[in-house]
Amino acid sequence: MKKVQVHPERCLGCRQCMFACAAAHSRSQEAVGALAEQPRPRARVHVAAAGRHYLGFPNRCHHCEPAPCLLACLPGAISREPATGTVMIDPDLCINCASCAMACPFGVLRYAADWTAPAAKTVAIKCDNCLDRQLAGRLPACVEACKTGALTFEESDVALERKSREVARSLAVDGERETLLPPTVALLLEMKNGLAASNDAADQ
Amino acid sequence: MKYVIIGNGIAATCALEAIRRLDSHGRLTLISDEDNLPYSRPLISHLLAGTLPAAKLPLRPPSFYDDLGVETVFGHRVDSLDPTAKTVRTTAGKTFSYDRLLIATGGDPRGLAVPGHRLPGIFFLRRLADVRQLLPLVGEGSEAVVLGGGLVGFKAAEALRCRGLRVTMVIRSPWPLALQVDEFTGRLLLDRLRQHGIRVLLGREVKEFAGRERLAKVVLDDGREISAGLAVIGKGVRPAIDFVPAASIKTNQGILVDECLQTSVADVYAAGDAAEMWDLAYQEPRVNAIWPEAAAQGLTAGRNLAGRRARYPGSLGRNVIRFFTLDLLTIGRTNPPPDGPYRQLTAAAPDGSWYRKLVLHRDRLVGAILVNRIEDGGILQAVIRQQRLLRLPPAKLLDRWSWSELWQL
Repeated sequence: MKKVQVHPERCLGCRQCMFACAAAHSRSQEAVGALAEQPRPRARVHVAAAGRHYLGFPNRCHHCEPAPCLLACLPGAISREPATGTVMIDPDLCINCASCAMACPFGVLRYAADWTAPAAKTVAIKCDNCLDRQLAGRLPACVEACKTGALTFEESDVALERKSREVARSLAVDGERETLLPPTVALLLEMKNGLAASNDAADQ
Repeated sequence: MKYVIIGNGIAATCALEAIRRLDSHGRLTLISDEDNLPYSRPLISHLLAGTLPAAKLPLRPPSFYDDLGVETVFGHRVDSLDPTAKTVRTTAGKTFSYDRLLIATGGDPRGLAVPGHRLPGIFFLRRLADVRQLLPLVGEGSEAVVLGGGLVGFKAAEALRCRGLRVTMVIRSPWPLALQVDEFTGRLLLDRLRQHGIRVLLGREVKEFAGRERLAKVVLDDGREISAGLAVIGKGVRPAIDFVPAASIKTNQGILVDECLQTSVADVYAAGDAAEMWDLAYQEPRVNAIWPEAAAQGLTAGRNLAGRRARYPGSLGRNVIRFFTLDLLTIGRTNPPPDGPYRQLTAAAPDGSWYRKLVLHRDRLVGAILVNRIEDGGILQAVIRQQRLLRLPPAKLLDRWSWSELWQL
């Protein structure tokens, strides 16, 4: 089964996935209409800003199995959609108690008024794998919007195999290694080396 | 294989489901003194407040027990357990034999042994039945006293206030929620309570419940009298384990269990509010009588009952409440002794809109308090659970910019 795969090393932090996600989950389901809507449509994917963190990271629900949020939900509003394994929140049952935020090890839950909830009450919001779009044969909105390949929609083992090959290739020619690396990875390595050096200094 | 489960809370429910997933043939018997479908105990205060209809409380469909093939014995409380003969007996004299037993009896609310404590008008807020009895009495304009400044006290006070009652909270500690929060956070909560018209008396205890046929006033230890027709006691819960033979099954506050939720006796397991297990933050066994612990422990216990060796490395106290526009999340050990190997880091917004405290034991995170901006609390919980040495400078976790602010669109 195809799933959204996250490749943080390719993320430049442009946040177009966030905009596309918010638009896709708006009442009008398109960007122009979404801009004018109340309550304001919210993104279900979150990217730390590149400028501040030197590192983009598209953070979205992992649809864990077992899911800590599902186990912790007080009103039983969280369930798993069996066909795709998607962890879903029923906005009708959600009481905005934040028990899921306390449980989620990835910090993907947000709380906001949403048009899908009765009387636009505040409810827990997170990624639903764009199931409606998938049923209509479309890509999840974040994947469709991503220009750098940080978000792809593919089988997990296909993605893993491709990734292994990429890593192997980048390590094969040692002298050319840095030029072969995507810029964010090069930066990451630099940071890591820098951090290790400063830790060593702190230890002494 | 004959499984007997005592209790019908979330620990029992999760255990039933886990057993049935692994063993489709075993005989499942559930004994409980409540006769409901599994319902969400934390939600009963919403029912009291009138913000949620009773229809939303059940957590499973009406066919739940039939679907799982569970024989239910409702309205019976177990009063003895014989681990040698492998039998349990109910107060009605019925005996059940088991191959594997799960004790998920939960807790009973602690009462107040003061004169007049049996007067009508004095309630707990623990079970659905409590709320059903309370509801006819919550007429607008009447007076209520809430005893205890813990989570149940908060929920009771908020719910009664929502109903338009005049509410006085009597709290023994110097600030509200003293078991969970530090003084700074306690003061914030106190302000919030008072802003919403709840009268709060700190450092006070009840001396007497007075009234002729029913509660009329509550007398405090300083002689003050509060007229009230209604009192709700929120003084915590005590594991309901009176029937457990202490000679064979080791108990402390609760029934002591190992990481497989097994008691000191083979084939007898315990989970939830009745169980006492290794606490990851305190590094000693503790009873953490909270919903998500009961669910997780019940799940693990169920797997073990069904014969799979599943481990649950330890429990962790944690709570989250949204109390009129103030969000509060606490995890683990939040008020460590001032000396010793503990370090505390705090940060607060200049405008008072948020506050954070982290507690470290050497270089491991063992506790946290978050006031507002609580969305990433689960990350901190995961860090505490893993008990790893922090690689980041701990101040990073306090940093205003490091987590959710940036991630909000």
